[in-house]
Amino acid sequence: MSDELDEIQAIFFEECTEGLTIAEEGLSAMAAGDVSADVIAGVFRAVHSIKGGSGAFGHGALQAFSHRFENVLDEVRAGHIPPTADVTRIMLGAFDLLSDHVAAAQSGSAFPDDAAMLEQLDAILASKGAAIEDSIPAPVAEADEFGFTPVAAVVEDFDSFGFEPVMVDLDDLAPAEPAGWTVRFGPSRGAMANGAEPMLVIRELEDMGGQVMGVDISRLPGLRDLDPEDGYLIWTIVLPATVDEQAIRDCFDFVAPDSLIEIGRAELSAVAPVADATMPIAMPVIEEVERPALTLVADNIAPAVEKAKADVPGQTIRVDLGKLDQLLNLVGELVIRGSILSDRLSPTDQERVELPELSRLTRQIQDNVMSLRAQPIRQAFSRVPRMLRDLMAETGKQVSLETTGEMTEVDKGVIEKIGDPLTHMIRNAVDHGIESPEERIAAGKPAEGTIRLSAEQKGARIVVRIADDGRGINRERVRAKAVERGIIAADAQLSDEDIDSLICAPGFSTAETISNISGRGVGMDVVRSNVEALGGRLEIHSVPGEGTTFSMALPLTLAILDGMIVRLGKQRYVLPLTNVIETVQPAPGQVQATSPTSEVIELRGNYLPVRRVGEMFGLSDHRKPEESLVIIVESEAAGHVGLMVDTIDNRREVVIKSLEDNLHPIRGLGGATVLGDGSIALILDIDALVVATGFKSALKGMAA
Amino acid sequence: MSKTQETEGEERKIVTFTLGNQMFGIDMRALIEIREWDEPTPLPSVPSYVKGVTNLRGAVVPVVGLAERLGWAPSVLHSRSCILVVAIGQRQAGFLVDEVADIVVIDSADIQPAPDVEVSEQSAIAGLVRIERRTSDASHSETMVLLLDLDALSLTRHIMELAA
Repeated sequence: MSDELDEIQAIFFEECTEGLTIAEEGLSAMAAGDVSADVIAGVFRAVHSIKGGSGAFGHGALQAFSHRFENVLDEVRAGHIPPTADVTRIMLGAFDLLSDHVAAAQSGSAFPDDAAMLEQLDAILASKGAAIEDSIPAPVAEADEFGFTPVAAVVEDFDSFGFEPVMVDLDDLAPAEPAGWTVRFGPSRGAMANGAEPMLVIRELEDMGGQVMGVDISRLPGLRDLDPEDGYLIWTIVLPATVDEQAIRDCFDFVAPDSLIEIGRAELSAVAPVADATMPIAMPVIEEVERPALTLVADNIAPAVEKAKADVPGQTIRVDLGKLDQLLNLVGELVIRGSILSDRLSPTDQERVELPELSRLTRQIQDNVMSLRAQPIRQAFSRVPRMLRDLMAETGKQVSLETTGEMTEVDKGVIEKIGDPLTHMIRNAVDHGIESPEERIAAGKPAEGTIRLSAEQKGARIVVRIADDGRGINRERVRAKAVERGIIAADAQLSDEDIDSLICAPGFSTAETISNISGRGVGMDVVRSNVEALGGRLEIHSVPGEGTTFSMALPLTLAILDGMIVRLGKQRYVLPLTNVIETVQPAPGQVQATSPTSEVIELRGNYLPVRRVGEMFGLSDHRKPEESLVIIVESEAAGHVGLMVDTIDNRREVVIKSLEDNLHPIRGLGGATVLGDGSIALILDIDALVVATGFKSALKGMAA
Repeated sequence: MSKTQETEGEERKIVTFTLGNQMFGIDMRALIEIREWDEPTPLPSVPSYVKGVTNLRGAVVPVVGLAERLGWAPSVLHSRSCILVVAIGQRQAGFLVDEVADIVVIDSADIQPAPDVEVSEQSAIAGLVRIERRTSDASHSETMVLLLDLDALSLTRHIMELAA
């Protein structure tokens, strides 16, 4: 049972996460000036469902806070509070706190201190006029003035016939007040089996000043037929008239839809025939999966917006990512087995129609599975606004965020892994890049800095850019610091780009004071190694006084690669095809040595550096260039470079197997793959290979 | 996996194998499979005891020269050389050993702690135990087995420490 509850809780927290995302998007849109009814209603709904769920699962603090937040949102939605910039700002703050509350409820840790924020929220409610006073749920204490006392249900007999619900005459108890609410609530047969707890609903009503007036036990069977998990009871609860009807209905948000719920104005004269005054609608309503249907007799104030609340259930299912990964692995295996099979067959058999058919199908399955894993990169970007707000509060700097291309789709694995690098880079941009408002004004820039976060697809890569309009990299200071830290020699000749990339050197930090944001000297180092471990590259472009741009070029998927299989000695390696430009069979004299350790190839009048891959991997067999092939590859950092290999085997799509799974990432390798014959080929990371200026030393210690 | 010296009198199965003249043992529960030696694909920039990677049912698994890793002379390959594929936590690794000897049941109460003198800073030897040795030659009926602490042999940890 507790397992089941945990499962339902897990779904609730998943929904919370989704709700928070929606709320944040909405609030950000409001902050950006879009205060249309749809946007506000969206935020309201998101917060509202978090509140409802938290109540059902007994997260009191979360529920209390979201309730107060919702009150404000409700007023904004109703147009009683104008969504001014100030109001939006406070609501964004409240949203942040709500996220903290959700996190606290999820982890079971201490609740965040929300007193100050609640005061602010209440201040908004109070300052925007008395017109809204009515809708604030009456404090519990007010219930006293009605003089209600709990009345125990009189159970006269257990025979299910002829039993009259015991009711209290309100005439004596509630004189001269407007009629209160009478709520009849009967959990459905299946409610408790589905994990609903009627007690929580009743508690919630009691918190609003409700009193349980009676229990209808007419449906209760004899002990012999009693199913303890079934729902037989119908409670009658009376609430003071000051309670908002919406608030009452909200209590039933998470009650199974086929439960009996009747809400009506209590008749002053006769309370007993409540059932006559209200229309029972105890039937499942398919369209409104989330909410019980309600029929209201007293006054029909259901706002039109509420109708929109019944979100059309999309045809989606939730799938555990692990299962998807497993599926992808299996498809990968299928691809490999397919090529093993193909290799075993004679060339004529390989050409027959069945095999190409099979591989086409396999490819289609693979594409489909890959597309299942593709997600908009927005998921990775969504954490940035909140982080920026925190950073602004900590540093006193003003930063606005512009995002583009957040709908670009990438593999889920990539999204998960760029989160940390992204966080580091945003922190760096705010901490080191963007100046204080005074400095900015002095430099003739607007006081508010801008960070542009963009994503775009370029071929088989996705490029994520983080650009700030701050002070840029102070190259003199970076250089001085690098010399001081012993990272470079004092007389080293470095280009601007070289100096910029020094900020990624391990143990480098120029922050004057170590703030708690960045400046521990691990940030950019970690960023670069993370990005490279993903088979990506990190580039830094900085213009002093104008800002710095960090670009991450990442593979769209971490699972499959279009590769060229090359041979070196007995080993085979995979070159990512995206890097390959052309292959050259060198003529005698076309490859010339420029130093004992470096060579160039003459190609249509240009000289390109040539690297012997075999030597880099410690497989030197001193082949003549004429007996080798030179593959011209394009690398982002070093331009066109020739890689000398023995021969080319073929071209094929390979399934990337991470080296990290059982070992650790190795610089220069993008992973490994299993070839058709079951042997392993290492996937070369071209950029890491050609860029590594000290690749000889980096690659020494090679296993023989 | 490799927790020892607990629960007095508990019976444990260990796989014994030789490296040079020494007999070693690992917990049976950690063993995934024993496979013949097959030249693995060599890797760049790894310590020399990492022989490379091999394909274990679709997974890329590193192969470690166990003798070298423990500081002994590297194993000389011969017809009975084989690879013990073991699980260390969530990861898998293959260990090159000279010869797999036996599977024996030992009493965990009989395991003596390894005297941790002069061994390198972190000892991979979890304990010592004496076992009956099944040989045709009855004169060598008992022998000492060095029980390995697989966690201490974890590749990632060791390599990360080297890199740091």
